[in-house]
Amino acid sequence: MVSSPVRWLLPLTLLTSLQAQAELQTPEISLTIDAYHKSDNTALGGRLEGWGLSHTELGVRQQFGNVATGKFTAVAEANEEETDFSIEEAYLQSLSLPAGLTLRGGRFLSDLGYLNGQHPHADSFSERPLLYRAFLGGHYYDDGLGLSMVMPTDLYWRISAEAFDGGELGEFEGNPTVGTWALSTSLGGDLSESQSWQAGVSYLRNRMLESGAEAHGHHHDHHDHGADGHHGHSHGAEYAGEHLYMADLVWKWAPRGNNRNQQLTLSAEYARVTDLNEYAGSDDYHEGWYGSAVYRFAPRWSAGVRHGRVDLKLGHGDHFHDGALKETTAMLAWNPTHTQTLRLQYTHQDVVEDWHDTFAGADNAVTLQYIISFGAHDAHAF
Amino acid sequence: MRTRSKLCAWVLLGCLPLPVQALSLFACEPEWAALARELAPEARMTSATHAYQDPHYIEARPSLIARLRRADLAICSGAALEAGWLPALQQRAANPGVHNGQPGMLFIASVVETIDQLDEVPFGAGDVHPEGNPHLQLDPERLRQAGAAVSQRLAQVDPDQAAEYRARYLRWSLAWQQRLADWQARAEPLRGQRIVVQHSTFDYLWRWLGIEVIADLEPRPGVPPTPGHLNTLVGQVESGKPLAIVHSWYQAPDSAQWLARRTGVPVLALPSTIAPDRGIGTPAQLFDHLLDQLLEQQNAR
Repeated sequence: MVSSPVRWLLPLTLLTSLQAQAELQTPEISLTIDAYHKSDNTALGGRLEGWGLSHTELGVRQQFGNVATGKFTAVAEANEEETDFSIEEAYLQSLSLPAGLTLRGGRFLSDLGYLNGQHPHADSFSERPLLYRAFLGGHYYDDGLGLSMVMPTDLYWRISAEAFDGGELGEFEGNPTVGTWALSTSLGGDLSESQSWQAGVSYLRNRMLESGAEAHGHHHDHHDHGADGHHGHSHGAEYAGEHLYMADLVWKWAPRGNNRNQQLTLSAEYARVTDLNEYAGSDDYHEGWYGSAVYRFAPRWSAGVRHGRVDLKLGHGDHFHDGALKETTAMLAWNPTHTQTLRLQYTHQDVVEDWHDTFAGADNAVTLQYIISFGAHDAHAF
Repeated sequence: MRTRSKLCAWVLLGCLPLPVQALSLFACEPEWAALARELAPEARMTSATHAYQDPHYIEARPSLIARLRRADLAICSGAALEAGWLPALQQRAANPGVHNGQPGMLFIASVVETIDQLDEVPFGAGDVHPEGNPHLQLDPERLRQAGAAVSQRLAQVDPDQAAEYRARYLRWSLAWQQRLADWQARAEPLRGQRIVVQHSTFDYLWRWLGIEVIADLEPRPGVPPTPGHLNTLVGQVESGKPLAIVHSWYQAPDSAQWLARRTGVPVLALPSTIAPDRGIGTPAQLFDHLLDQLLEQQNAR
């Protein structure tokens, strides 16, 4: 087993050796800074209170002729308590496979759900929904291989299969070569000139949690008192199970499809985590959902609300206690230029059901966030 | 017995050579779809945008990914006009034929010279690109050059019909030259007129017609008009006596109307591309329409 920092270096070595052979285009370099101030800590991860940098990323993209493209993204997070650096992306992606196929290898964001494959600075809210923070550590990237296929149909239809090492999902007792694998598919199209949609289902198998082995995440909650134990950028999934099922639906409206001046985006996702440990019966599963509405009412202004909830089974020896947390978020964003965003967000958390102060960190918070990007940045996805 | 004969028929059908698949074309803007329709009428054509959409700001929607996935040739303006969405489509469509540099991807601005090219973009200049103004479909001479490039590219991706494409282009370009002479004669009274604009969308048209732009409602290119900036224009517009305040069909008319109320200069909304729903289905009809509108404004003075 190659240790983690070396593992992500492998694709990079490959990059450099390819570089020596091919005549190269200039690499595209991008820098995105995400600075914020948050009034209070909230439960289940997210940003820490005070001033900080969240998800500030330096990206390099290099194309190798028409064969492949390589992407490398280093992320820095800093808050009043700690500074954290990580490599989120270091992958090679094929460009010339036939039949709508794309192969990716290295470290990359999984295609799970609607938000997971997108870069967080493109999000409409300053923090990912509860279900992402609880089940995927905010966003799930890992080292592995992925194959996706876009079908030659009138309706957009993509199918992806991925296999990962699993090291980035969290600390688990089992350590198989393929720690996780995922399948996802999404469909999409236009309903009219003004309306378009996308829907998807995905599945993530966690093989590091075979019966007998148990997630560390389950028990430490009782001692660490909820959010205080998990720092801003919790990489791992705090509430894990052998199977994660997700469904997502997005609908967008813009008058005659002209989204410069006005656009309404409705999105919703649902997730269920089952087989939490060896004692879990068929009724013992985690569940989460959110719905969000974002309206751009002028070329540079948008406002949005999001409401979400997670229902968790908190493991206690051979049985479970129920825990549930609700979160409602409202935001107003201003884009002085297309490379800058200034966002004011209010987050309200409600503990529906608690056990042993798991959600002791639940609070209300006001966040002011400023994002600026320099250089070539990825065009945003739907 | 019947099922078997049916089965035989299907098997036979399956063994027959496939009928020649029509070429599938993807245009980023409708003017290139219209131009390609003149040069390859049998091809299947789709345009990613229409006259009521701002081509700078398009969502990389699933339906566009699906369309680019099946395209044999994509035709786009280039000069960074589609920088906000085409790369996302190319990346997701997984169609190696339409990547930059491939015969299946044609950027008109890379084969037809643009105006206002910059060696470097000064900081804070707004949404300007060193490649120059991408709205070159509004110069009829450049549109003819674009036609030549499209025709060559069609022949390259569909060599079996190369001769056909060449012949079609020659016929079309001959007819276009005649129209060009007509338009120039008709447009004579517009020469030397002044105009107020919102964005550099029609700059090629003004240059061709000899019309002078005296003010832009946008404070900086690509930045929406602000009340402060509009206020500074009032005196300039009143003394300049322009023909009209022109905005594109995809732009909100509010700013132009506000300035019109303050200065008494009329507002003129013009299409920057073809719009089949309004009877403007071909490039020629677009120039006819633009000239009609401007001359009508001129006669009304």
